[in-house]
Amino acid sequence: MTGRKIGVVVCECGGNISDYVDTEKVRAAIAQEGDVVSSHVQMFACSDAAQQDAIREIREKKLDGIVVCSCSPKLHTATFRAMAERAGLNPYEYTQVNIREQDSWAHTHDREGATEKAIELARAGVAKTALSEPLVRRRVETLPQAVVVGAGIAGLRAAVALSDLGVSVHLVEKATAPGGQVARWGSLFPNDKVGRGLVDELLNEVRRRENIQLYLSTELVEKSGRLGAFDVTLRTATGAVIPLKVGAIVVATGFDPYAPSTGEFGYGLDGVVTLPEFKELLAAHPARLTYRGRDVRTVAYVYCVGSRETAPGSPRTYCSRYCCSATSHIATVVNGLDPSVHQFHLFRDIRTYGKYEALYEKALRGGSVYLRYSEESPPTVTEENGGLVVKVRDQLLAGEEVEIRPDLVVLVTGMVPRANDPLVHALKLPVGQDGFFREVHVKLRPVETVLDGVFIVGASQGPKNVAESVASSLAGVAKTGALLLKGYVDLDPLVARVEPNLCAWCDECTKACPYGAIDRVRQGETEVAEVNGVLCKGEGACVPACPKEAISLLGYSNAQISSMIDALVKEAT
Amino acid sequence: MNAASPATRYDVLVLGAGVGGMESALTLGDMGYQVLVVEKEPSVGGRMILLSKVFPTLDCASCISTPKMAAVNNHPHVRALVSSEVNDITPRPEGGFLVHLTRKPTFVDAAKCTGCALCESACTVAVPDEFNYDLTARRAAHIAFPQAVPKKAVITRRGSSPCSFTCPAGVKPHGYVSLVRSGQYDEAFRQHLDDAPLVGVLSRACYAPCEEACSRKELEGPVSIRGIKRFMSDRYYAAHPVPEYGPPSERKGARVAIVGSGPSGLAAAFVLGRAGYDVTVFEAEQEAGGILRWGIPSYRLPKDVVARDLANITALGVKIETGHRVTSLAELQGAGFGAVYLATGDRGGRKLSVPGEDLAGVYDAVDYLHELNADRPPDFSGKTVIVIGGGNVAIDSARSARRLGARSVELFCLESRAEMPAHPWEIQEAEEEGVVVTNSWGVGQVLGYDRKVLGVELVRCTSVFDAEHRFRPTFDSSVRQSVHGEVVITAIGLAPNTGAFASQVELQRNGTVKVDPETLATSVPGVFAGGDAVTGPAMIVTAIGQGKRAAFYIERFLRGEPLEGAKFDDRLPEVDASTVAAEARRDAVPRPPVPIPRRPALERVTSFEPYEAVLSETEARTSANRCLDCGVCSECRECVRACPANAIDLDMRARTETVVVQSVALATGFTPFDARQKPAFGFGRFANVINGPQMDRILAPTRPFNAVVRPSDGKAPSNVAFVLCTGSRDEQVGNRLCSRVCCMYSMKQAQLLLGSLPLADVTIYYIDLRAFGKGYEEFLQQTKGMGVIFRKGKVSRVEETDDHDLLVHYEDIEGGGGSTVARHDLVVLSTGLLPNPGALALFPKGGLEKDAYSYVREVNEELEPGKTTLEGVFVIGSATAVRDIPDTIVHSEAASAQIAAYLKREGAKA
Repeated sequence: MTGRKIGVVVCECGGNISDYVDTEKVRAAIAQEGDVVSSHVQMFACSDAAQQDAIREIREKKLDGIVVCSCSPKLHTATFRAMAERAGLNPYEYTQVNIREQDSWAHTHDREGATEKAIELARAGVAKTALSEPLVRRRVETLPQAVVVGAGIAGLRAAVALSDLGVSVHLVEKATAPGGQVARWGSLFPNDKVGRGLVDELLNEVRRRENIQLYLSTELVEKSGRLGAFDVTLRTATGAVIPLKVGAIVVATGFDPYAPSTGEFGYGLDGVVTLPEFKELLAAHPARLTYRGRDVRTVAYVYCVGSRETAPGSPRTYCSRYCCSATSHIATVVNGLDPSVHQFHLFRDIRTYGKYEALYEKALRGGSVYLRYSEESPPTVTEENGGLVVKVRDQLLAGEEVEIRPDLVVLVTGMVPRANDPLVHALKLPVGQDGFFREVHVKLRPVETVLDGVFIVGASQGPKNVAESVASSLAGVAKTGALLLKGYVDLDPLVARVEPNLCAWCDECTKACPYGAIDRVRQGETEVAEVNGVLCKGEGACVPACPKEAISLLGYSNAQISSMIDALVKEAT
Repeated sequence: MNAASPATRYDVLVLGAGVGGMESALTLGDMGYQVLVVEKEPSVGGRMILLSKVFPTLDCASCISTPKMAAVNNHPHVRALVSSEVNDITPRPEGGFLVHLTRKPTFVDAAKCTGCALCESACTVAVPDEFNYDLTARRAAHIAFPQAVPKKAVITRRGSSPCSFTCPAGVKPHGYVSLVRSGQYDEAFRQHLDDAPLVGVLSRACYAPCEEACSRKELEGPVSIRGIKRFMSDRYYAAHPVPEYGPPSERKGARVAIVGSGPSGLAAAFVLGRAGYDVTVFEAEQEAGGILRWGIPSYRLPKDVVARDLANITALGVKIETGHRVTSLAELQGAGFGAVYLATGDRGGRKLSVPGEDLAGVYDAVDYLHELNADRPPDFSGKTVIVIGGGNVAIDSARSARRLGARSVELFCLESRAEMPAHPWEIQEAEEEGVVVTNSWGVGQVLGYDRKVLGVELVRCTSVFDAEHRFRPTFDSSVRQSVHGEVVITAIGLAPNTGAFASQVELQRNGTVKVDPETLATSVPGVFAGGDAVTGPAMIVTAIGQGKRAAFYIERFLRGEPLEGAKFDDRLPEVDASTVAAEARRDAVPRPPVPIPRRPALERVTSFEPYEAVLSETEARTSANRCLDCGVCSECRECVRACPANAIDLDMRARTETVVVQSVALATGFTPFDARQKPAFGFGRFANVINGPQMDRILAPTRPFNAVVRPSDGKAPSNVAFVLCTGSRDEQVGNRLCSRVCCMYSMKQAQLLLGSLPLADVTIYYIDLRAFGKGYEEFLQQTKGMGVIFRKGKVSRVEETDDHDLLVHYEDIEGGGGSTVARHDLVVLSTGLLPNPGALALFPKGGLEKDAYSYVREVNEELEPGKTTLEGVFVIGSATAVRDIPDTIVHSEAASAQIAAYLKREGAKA
């Protein structure tokens, strides 16, 4: 017993926990702990009403620590810290105990065991809280400047929007010209806008603005510093190095079109093109459908090339999202060009979601013929007597084999992650299984990454069409704006601290620290280590590295961790 | 009203607090903008909070929503109004928008409510729970759902139930009927007593206009409201032979005199007595009760019932001075009464004014009934009795004459059968008892010999009322007949009993007291009048209503408050009975009325014993169960009693607010497709055909049943079908578009279903599987891997078997394309999402355009997401095109960036 007054809330998570853990038993057990003066079970601890209850309890019982046994701290630490703060309690006197991901969901067939484990975890949480101390966030300045990487449609739009909000933008493009993929495209679904035109519209805006600086043939090669004040290094094609100081980084590096390997659905044969190639073809010859000077009378589209792959180990298991709608749209464009052109669509599922269904319908009405192939028996594209032959077993005709002799085969290729290794390395960007950049949470934080102040927008996060890329880029702008416009940000105080009297400067901690957050300072006669609280991420690598045990992590002190372990093993026997 | 100085200003109005609206509000709030969120439901959270888990990550929907909901409620820059609606939005010439909004009444003071839900436990009305998509019931007083933000109770009131709206006494039949339905009989009685005294009297002798108004009347017949009242009143009085209470301890100090102890005077005495006034009722007769004691025969109203009702009034300390005829109002006022209520009722004695009227054997009905009730009955045995008149008093006279042993009783009246003022069932009962009713005759003269009656000469009455429906009978004097009779009872109308006060207060020409119809104040300050003395002959309930009204204004008078400006009657508008009946015809089980048992006519006429029996407990509850809860809340006020915070306020009414906002974000979401629009699929007809949202509720952590069950028998389903594209990609229902979420939510439900029922077969019937988003295709493969069967083929119709299984007819495309039938024990219709065009109507000046599908049109979806045709108005999420949650969130963030840029630009201009 430490004389602390700790409150505990056990969350049922509406059944997510209480279906597998006897929450009342957990509450009753934890109520017996020495420092616990208040304990409640709530159906949803995170609900507003439950938070109000907890706030009332903190105030009425003058609690100096609060423990919520609920879900992963990743989900709700911020929620409950804010709650503690509203109650007048230091937010770092709050501890979240994970009895969902680490307990109820993991032990769905052992209620008794899960309950026992929840009690132990809760005890450890109480033990940690009993030794907690109030911590103060460090407020640091944020610069109203951002670097946007990639000057495709998403990057251009982000730059303009950030500029609108009063954020100065460094817009960095690897290629020699801005505009990305969209600049090469003609008519786009669903509104028949021209890709080049959209890009030009944005470029005009970019050029008009004094607070946007466009760097072509330039890459971002280095990043250091902290949220709100990153040090970023750009390198031009000529090798010139440009240092920048920015508050945030917006990554809008887009995608690469899938490049089929030679022989994949006849790719490499004369008359077999990819979707982007076909789009460029149409954009270049808007009046008449010809390929290499030949009239095109019949087109066969093979869908899902490089998407929805089912081969074991394939990196492209995902759907590329835009291709069905884009192809339906193209079919209508071709139809408008020459209604007598025959168009065959060899598809798996037509995914013209939402309003794009109208494009599919229009293509159908225009005479497009749809043949459904199964992933087990894909169509074949071969050459016979100088012409192309496409064979497909059409599921809509009970699996009958259909043979088409098209003038042009369009491989409806999807999007693949852009080859971007140096940037990924420089920013330490998290990448998902599909190779696209990974957001923190697809619903809660869709444009944020685990790196504070680094945002991912557009197709760099996953396949998207133009409107979706732009929406995503503006979402990144909204988040950047919310971060930078205040002019400051409060940093987590959970950082390492060196006890100078114990330190004998051996350099072990600086070697362990990946953030360069430990400085060597003189203290009287000796030199000791000192933690730079702005750079320190509270990762803790330095703590075990110190031979003198001179370093401890605020909020996770050695004493706290020991007491947690003691609590965990208390009744393990 | 000064439009230039509205209550408040905001940077942004966010309309709708679904996931998109909340996201936008929080983002803009974080940027430092002042945000007003208006949500029509009682909680923020929209539809997402009602979901189980959400694809593709299977996060718990609550866990993702609740922190955002709490944040919206607690953000320093966000004000969230729930249960509120925007009426209109008008651009202002100087920039920004003028917004009128309505704060709908929740009937619970949110500031006081602690969310303890005791009101919910106490509530006696159950209605389908819309938050469980009607799978289960909820109470009229309820908290929307467990995670509601704010967690405050609301009471659903559609209006005044027709029965309660109709009662002139302000009794709330819906209230006590719902209490009886719940088995709370004493509470039912007390609730009635709170509304009006004389419960026993009304349970026997009320003409029950409530039953005429009852919505069930249009179906199988009205709820036997009076029968239910009789049941609860008899039961209560049997248990409580004396009142449960004494005089109120808190005294007001003022004295009130009430002249007349009929129903009106007693009602006023009761209200004022309860309020702590010193009330004295002056009664000229030797016993109190007026018409109740002296007018109505005891076979209809036994005198012990009147006495017991009176005890409820005198127990309050109300003094009744019988045998005291008041003649001078000034005398009363001089004696220290601060206010006087004149409720002297009627007297009889309206004359036929024909020869022979003064012959022996001619009775005035009022005098005759008085003698009867004074236990001095005339001897009619073996006599031939003629009753003249077509009203209630005539009927009472005739039926009493039968009970006095008359050989025959014949009733003549001017009116045709349909015109008779008496109620049809009274006439019918009189006829059952042998009274002969003959219509359309007036009296020419009373025939007699030797000063004794021998009969009457009748003249054919050709019409009773003139074109303006004034009483102006015309006769055909050529058609006459003479009828033999030894007794003639005239019951041709009552006159107000006001003669004594003719020189003291102003009277109308017909002798009634002239009053202000709202306050019942007479020409003399402090003197109020009501009841039959004001209205002329009327129902008991009308008289009681007048007494209550008078008491209300007498209290104000005594407190020195102005009479004007107050409102005695603040009922909600009446719910339309025909609408309720039509809904019930569609949804409710037919329930025949429970007849009130009556003794046979031949037995009835042998005595003055009551002839109507009381309903048994089962009958009363069966009767009460027929109530359709027209107004939803029954006004039983159990919640008022249960609430420890004193937060319930049934008098709450809608309030309007005016605000000025710089920009508007429309986040009004979508309209769920009503599967009834697809009748071939059987939704609403077959118990085991449910829709997608219902399945989500069944699977949710806050699920209504603690297991996956099918509705018909509560069994766990073992073979479940999902029918995709219900209401989507379907010209037939007027929606060609794809709803975008149904493929994915169905797969999610299939996965969760298999989590609960690992052995179940799950089949998904689809046209295309649209797993297009990040992680979606992988989710599809995962679903396939779990063993869910995917059948490509359109479902044409669903049939039900005898054991409530379903036969799904579909086109088996992969199996050759023929029509095939599969049997399932639960069918989930994966219903789609339709546009919610509501927002378009909010701009009276126009300018906000919709697209070809009735969504709010984005002018430039490629580069300016969220921008509409109206400068400063933005659209979020599904309001412009249906979206799943991840896309809604991104779109709402994007719109927020646009709004922020707009505000920055406008700010720079200013």
